[in-house]
Amino acid sequence: MSALERQYQVEQFYYREARLLDNREYQSWLALIHPEIRYSMPGRSNPMVNNRERGQQDMISVERELEGLDSNGLPIRDENYAILWLRVDRAYKMNSWAENPPARTRRIIGNIEILDDDGDTLQVVSNFHLFYARPGLRDFFYAGQRRDTLIRQDSSFQIRCREIVMDMADINVPTLGLLL
Amino acid sequence: MAINLKELVNSDASLISRRVWSDEAVYQLEKRAIFGKTWLFLGHESQIKSAGDFVQAYMCETPIILARGENGDIHASINSCTHRGLPVCRSDHGNTKRFICPYHNWSYSVDGSLVTIPQERAIKCKPDKRELGLKKVPRVETWRGLIFGSFNEAIEPLEDYLGDMKFYLGAWIDRFPGGIEFIGSPHRWVIDTNWKLPVENQLGDVYHGPHLHASIIAADSEAGIEIDNYAYNVVPTKGHGASFRLMPEDTPTDKIAWGFETPVGQLGSDELKNYLRSVQATAEAQVGPVRARMKGLAYGVYPNLSFLWSNAGFKVSHPRGPNKVEYWSWSVVPADAPEHLKQQLRNNHASFFGPGGLLEQEDSEAWIQQNIGANIDFADDRMLYYGLGLGEETTHPDLPGTVTTGANEYYARAFFQRWREDLLAEVDG
Ligand code: FES
Ligand SMILES: [Fe+2]
Repeated sequence: MSALERQYQVEQFYYREARLLDNREYQSWLALIHPEIRYSMPGRSNPMVNNRERGQQDMISVERELEGLDSNGLPIRDENYAILWLRVDRAYKMNSWAENPPARTRRIIGNIEILDDDGDTLQVVSNFHLFYARPGLRDFFYAGQRRDTLIRQDSSFQIRCREIVMDMADINVPTLGLLL
Repeated sequence: MAINLKELVNSDASLISRRVWSDEAVYQLEKRAIFGKTWLFLGHESQIKSAGDFVQAYMCETPIILARGENGDIHASINSCTHRGLPVCRSDHGNTKRFICPYHNWSYSVDGSLVTIPQERAIKCKPDKRELGLKKVPRVETWRGLIFGSFNEAIEPLEDYLGDMKFYLGAWIDRFPGGIEFIGSPHRWVIDTNWKLPVENQLGDVYHGPHLHASIIAADSEAGIEIDNYAYNVVPTKGHGASFRLMPEDTPTDKIAWGFETPVGQLGSDELKNYLRSVQATAEAQVGPVRARMKGLAYGVYPNLSFLWSNAGFKVSHPRGPNKVEYWSWSVVPADAPEHLKQQLRNNHASFFGPGGLLEQEDSEAWIQQNIGANIDFADDRMLYYGLGLGEETTHPDLPGTVTTGANEYYARAFFQRWREDLLAEVDG
């Protein structure tokens, strides 16, 4: 397969995923999820800049703001398939009040870049902008990056690992419990 | 607008006005009467272990630098330069020798003293730097590593202020021979609601659990049944509160040990489960027979600190005006647990609580919706009803304080009785 074809395949996969999520077809979305998934959203804080790293890119790297994945900090989310299943399950219950009425989401996935491909497994980063509105509340805007490990499956992929880096300064949205 | 407190909260606090939750003048009075007078939670010693370590904190809307000084002392200073008032610390946490103010580069040590004024060389009359440090929080005291500050120099000692709340907090903290540790930075998120509602929720609102959270915790779940049979709400001192299940003496270890009832415990490795069992095995020796049978729900320490037992979090509801809070929530683990188990235990908190929490997103939703109801007009003559279980409060030989069943709202009435007293004292001055 050419690099162009591969890029097209990955993009189509993400567009389909986005459509399922925006259409609230979360049960169908679960089929894109590998049973061994690690799905996480690191905490993001504003640590003191290290004086000794002055003049180097590391001084202000995004990585040093993230905490709680393997490091000794607190993630916002760190979930496996069972937890994602719970989230999907509750979306279809009348008494999941945070989703009743359900939110209207519209997401744009872009900057899809394949960083690595060993034949079975791909490392892909992508960006998202998401518009979120629930009747009775204000409208909200979410932006972030997804760092995925995709596993090839027939002619498509499954998501084996997803790390979501959110960009807001203050978390001022109704929930970060969305499927992103 | 003059505030008539007796119209806002009736005498037994079974009726509460919507204005209590939404009025700007009430909020300004709360700042002086409560946040200027009481002990406020700042953080935990495990967040600032070494000299030069600091974290940011708040006392109401006032930004505080909480730091460990050169000699190991704890310092709390207001994060505002004495020259033109800018915040001098611009990070959430870190380790440093100096904070440098951006504007004219006055520098301060972590304990708040002013070290250099760069412009000093160019003037003749040198200012007295000893007088120009950051304003200190006048009273700072700790209990079990929990650090509190107060703007009220005359306030009673922290231990007296906590009173019998120590008995209930200790029921958890003292189970762990090495005490507790706060992991990483807190979750911090902004919710369009009044600061008192998250507080009230944790103070003793046991019975919202199987209703608001029914999509996750059904009423006929084990937790729901235990709450029906064994739940107590205790008010050790008005404004504080502890809710918990006091399990029967023959309860098997796995039904009582801390950490077992969450998915992390349920689905955890054998190693994790054995660790949790080992904590329960020594609980009686650590905290005595009654407290070893306690299986907590949630607590509150007046005015705005909360503690969540099974998902192990400390939370602070920082006001940002009458209709907004910045909620801070830390994951807490036993300090002497193995590091890799701490990483599993922290997920009791992440994913279930915090801004993305499976459970807490329902709470945020309820609090945002309450704020909508608290801001409506033409309903001042229909006060909010806080009367469930009025007059049914009692005592219990083993439990210090006023004791009620889980469904009784005395915990909230007691909070608002104290709230009204505090505000009245400020108005009568
Ligand atoms: S305002 Fe801080 S140095 Fe001038
Ligand atoms: Fe809740």
